[in-house]
Amino acid sequence: MRKYLIGRFVQILFTLLIFQTLLFVILDAQPGDITMQFLANPKVSPEAREQIRANLGLDRPPLERYAKWLVNFSTGNLGTSFEHWPRSVMDIILERAPRTLILFLTGQLIAFVVGFSLGKLLAWWRGGVLEYGLTLVGVVMYTIFTPWFGLMMIWFFGFRLKWLPVGKFLDPLLWRKAEVDANFVFGRLMLTALAYTVLVLVVFIATRKLSAVWRRAALWAALVVFAGAAVLLWSRLDVGVLALDMVRHMVLPLCVYTLVNFAGTMLVMRNTMLETLREDYVMAARAKGLSERVVRDQHAARNAFLPVFTALIIGIPFAISGGIITETIFSWPGMGLTLLSAVQNEDIPMAMGALSFIGVLALLAHLVADIAYSFLDPRIRYQ
Amino acid sequence: MAEELTMRRAPVAEPLWRVRLHLVGRSLAGSWRIFRENPIGLIGLGIIVLFGLLALAHPILMATVWDQRTYDPIIGFDATVLAHPAPPSGRHLLGTDPIGRDVLSQLMYSARWEFGLGLLAATVSVLVSTTIGAVAAYYGGLVDAIFMRLADVMTMLPFIAVLVVLSALFDFQLLHLALVYGVIVGFGGQTIVIKSQALTIKVKPYIDAARVAGGGDGHIILTHMLPNLMPLAFLYMMITVTGAVFIEAALSFFGLLNIRMSWGIMINTAQASGYLLAGPGYLHLMIPAGLAITLFCSAFYLVGRALDEVVNPRLRRR
Amino acid sequence: METADTVLAVQDLTMHYKTRQGWVAAVDDISFDLRRGESLGLVGESGCGKTSIAVSLMRLLPDNARVLSGQIWLDQEELLSLSADEMLHVRWKGIAMVFQAAMNSLDPVYRVGEQIVEALQAHFPTMRVAQARERVAELFRLVGLDPRLMDRYPHEFSGGMRQRAVIAMALSCQPAVIIADEPTTALDVIVQDRILKELRAIQKQLDMGMIYISHDIAVIAEVSDRIAVMYAGRMAELAAGESIFHHPLHPYTSALMGAFPSIKGPKRELTTLPGEPPDLLHPPAGCRFHPRCPRATGVCQEQRPPLEERMPGHAVACWHPLEVRNGC
Repeated sequence: MRKYLIGRFVQILFTLLIFQTLLFVILDAQPGDITMQFLANPKVSPEAREQIRANLGLDRPPLERYAKWLVNFSTGNLGTSFEHWPRSVMDIILERAPRTLILFLTGQLIAFVVGFSLGKLLAWWRGGVLEYGLTLVGVVMYTIFTPWFGLMMIWFFGFRLKWLPVGKFLDPLLWRKAEVDANFVFGRLMLTALAYTVLVLVVFIATRKLSAVWRRAALWAALVVFAGAAVLLWSRLDVGVLALDMVRHMVLPLCVYTLVNFAGTMLVMRNTMLETLREDYVMAARAKGLSERVVRDQHAARNAFLPVFTALIIGIPFAISGGIITETIFSWPGMGLTLLSAVQNEDIPMAMGALSFIGVLALLAHLVADIAYSFLDPRIRYQ
Repeated sequence: MAEELTMRRAPVAEPLWRVRLHLVGRSLAGSWRIFRENPIGLIGLGIIVLFGLLALAHPILMATVWDQRTYDPIIGFDATVLAHPAPPSGRHLLGTDPIGRDVLSQLMYSARWEFGLGLLAATVSVLVSTTIGAVAAYYGGLVDAIFMRLADVMTMLPFIAVLVVLSALFDFQLLHLALVYGVIVGFGGQTIVIKSQALTIKVKPYIDAARVAGGGDGHIILTHMLPNLMPLAFLYMMITVTGAVFIEAALSFFGLLNIRMSWGIMINTAQASGYLLAGPGYLHLMIPAGLAITLFCSAFYLVGRALDEVVNPRLRRR
Repeated sequence: METADTVLAVQDLTMHYKTRQGWVAAVDDISFDLRRGESLGLVGESGCGKTSIAVSLMRLLPDNARVLSGQIWLDQEELLSLSADEMLHVRWKGIAMVFQAAMNSLDPVYRVGEQIVEALQAHFPTMRVAQARERVAELFRLVGLDPRLMDRYPHEFSGGMRQRAVIAMALSCQPAVIIADEPTTALDVIVQDRILKELRAIQKQLDMGMIYISHDIAVIAEVSDRIAVMYAGRMAELAAGESIFHHPLHPYTSALMGAFPSIKGPKRELTTLPGEPPDLLHPPAGCRFHPRCPRATGVCQEQRPPLEERMPGHAVACWHPLEVRNGC
């Protein structure tokens, strides 16, 4: 397995190299050079402009610039943003990236769990109104135009029902008098989420030896109790109101993201499960006198999991694209919105930086998923 | 003896190309039969035909029933209606947009461009992927490795982000988008699948026979490998259309494309005008365009799913 | 003929399954018994109903199958009248099965030992994991596998090893009857021979009843005490192995024998039968073999011959059986 992982890692590095090269080509292909942009920007002094020129080595031959580009990238020097002068691109990325990550990770997790379970049940209860209904919903969600869907949801929940805010990260009025800044609260919220995940995982691993019934009960208990504890903790704090505001702003983007993403997994899972149910070992499991539920979950679903997970890996770039679109619709200040506004404001370094981040995220996600897969499939783990 | 032999051989009546055409026709008929069995494919096909009719009907309507000045999708303006955007009425079946243009006219007008965009992108992608797939499979070795690494890059990275940047840096119109998208998709996942298919063809005995008979590499690839890759390629065309239209709509929605009118632009107009969140009576601005994009994309997707059964015998319902 | 020794008695079992074109008469009025320690070989062409019988016995029927009539008695319990939950207890503990292409019977994501422990814990809930693992080790030794392989995954086993593992799994709950459905088809002849001999030895040792299903008459001959010849969902002949070989009474059986070359015997032309097995959607009336039978007459086309004993311990379903020799 080690060989497999090392091979994967090298491949990803290579892909990253090609990607950065591609970005460089795009950047270079532009007529004129970047500092032309500075001419229009009143915040930038002529001396600073010269310094940037030298820094970026814009008067050097292409190959040297390419090398510098790669070096800069590897050291995290992505330049300075025009729009948010004088903040560095890296600085902005570090601020905004966690927000994208939270949306992406949470959304993908929920979408996968929901899609997987629904797909499993769909295949198990073949036929009937439920199957057609769910499949129809699945196909609709899979092909629906995301911005349109997002806007409809905003219109319905934010405007019509007024349950949830119509976009953005937080309510400025509420935060005007706040003593802490948004990143502080967001950071703490993320830590809570992380702690929650870790605790649930611990329970999951600790209950491995228990029977299925006890294990399920324990997991549900953990999910509910820890959630309750987190809510309780936050409600006792002063900044709890602010945190709640942030969470409220996250609900709709998360819902839209999850709804758009679950259908793919559900449909694939249904097909995979149907194929798996025809396998010999499922018949053998039944012959052993195991209950239908055990056959379905421990044998059929466990095997169907692998191809579905592979499909998920393949869908990572689409999931990230979806995340970008979702952030934009809701004006949620993550990397997606950053990319778009950078592009619209002709903030080239920021745009390139955001693009690099997105590329790195995609590749990293791919690598992590590959590693996870190699652990889940014994045929790869033990070669 | 010699006369007997010559007499036994009857002259060949049909020219070779006619025979080939006949065979192609027969296999198409067979494929159509399988395709027909699946209601999903027919629904998708029906929706595509519907959109085709919409696209065709527009110029006819503009030439006959509709007044140029009022109904032009880009510069039209209806002065007889007091407030724009106007809700649906007898004159404007889907209402008008904030600048006074008829929504239905916009919808129908955009249809032809979406078709064009989709089909151009699909064709480009298929040309690229079948050529590369066949070449990579045929030559193997370094050529194969290079193209596969390139395909890896294309499949692992979210290209909407790249397209966002590209469309801002360069002046993108539909043609450019179609070409760029087609090339990106062509180099990507499609190539990998087509290459696998090409590999199975490459080891078939008739390829060796062709080589022994003196066929050059190019000839073999063109005459033997490509026709067998066509069904799979056709399947991928459907998926590419879906992706192209989706991306165009998204980019238009972000205001990054230099085109006058499309479904994405319609949604952009609706959202940018702010009417959306102002009151309940403006749904006619949002729903037609979004629905059109969704239906159009899903139609091609459904056709693609049904084609999957034709191309992949394993999936057919027994 | 039931004796105190009978462990399995099947009476008038009929099972049909529904296809898009109609009902297929897969198993038609089958009756037989099995005694402890006895091996019954079920032989016939593909599609004659052998596997359908096995699947019916274990009640592992697909959704479109129906048992239309019959009774299955396993040691005083009638299986067809049990509820689905009750049947769960009978499976594996009462009857176990080694499937065709058994190599795929092992779930690829679990260790081999784990899968056998799973079966044990399902049927003996009080058994602790350590005990179960000990039992697995025993079983492995019995089938000739190194117990240390217990914690490996199926893909790490060779074909022959997987076959043995599957046999071990089938034996784990000490079933009274074991059904072996072409367990050696996918293996090369040498391994096949070895496994056959070992299976036979284990069966004798554990005093289990065995139903051995195959289309290969040579294999059946080696393994069975009694042989049942199946044709088109019906039983054509049922007798002791020796009896069937030396004097087959059914024309089909005779053709089957003649179709296999004998290394030791004299050189002769192999017999072939004209035609094909009947379409079970619309089976022929009367005796199902009559379209291909050289001895068929009018009555064969109209009436179904009953399975009757023509010689002691030798039953045949034919209106014109081959020469019956008495006292042989």
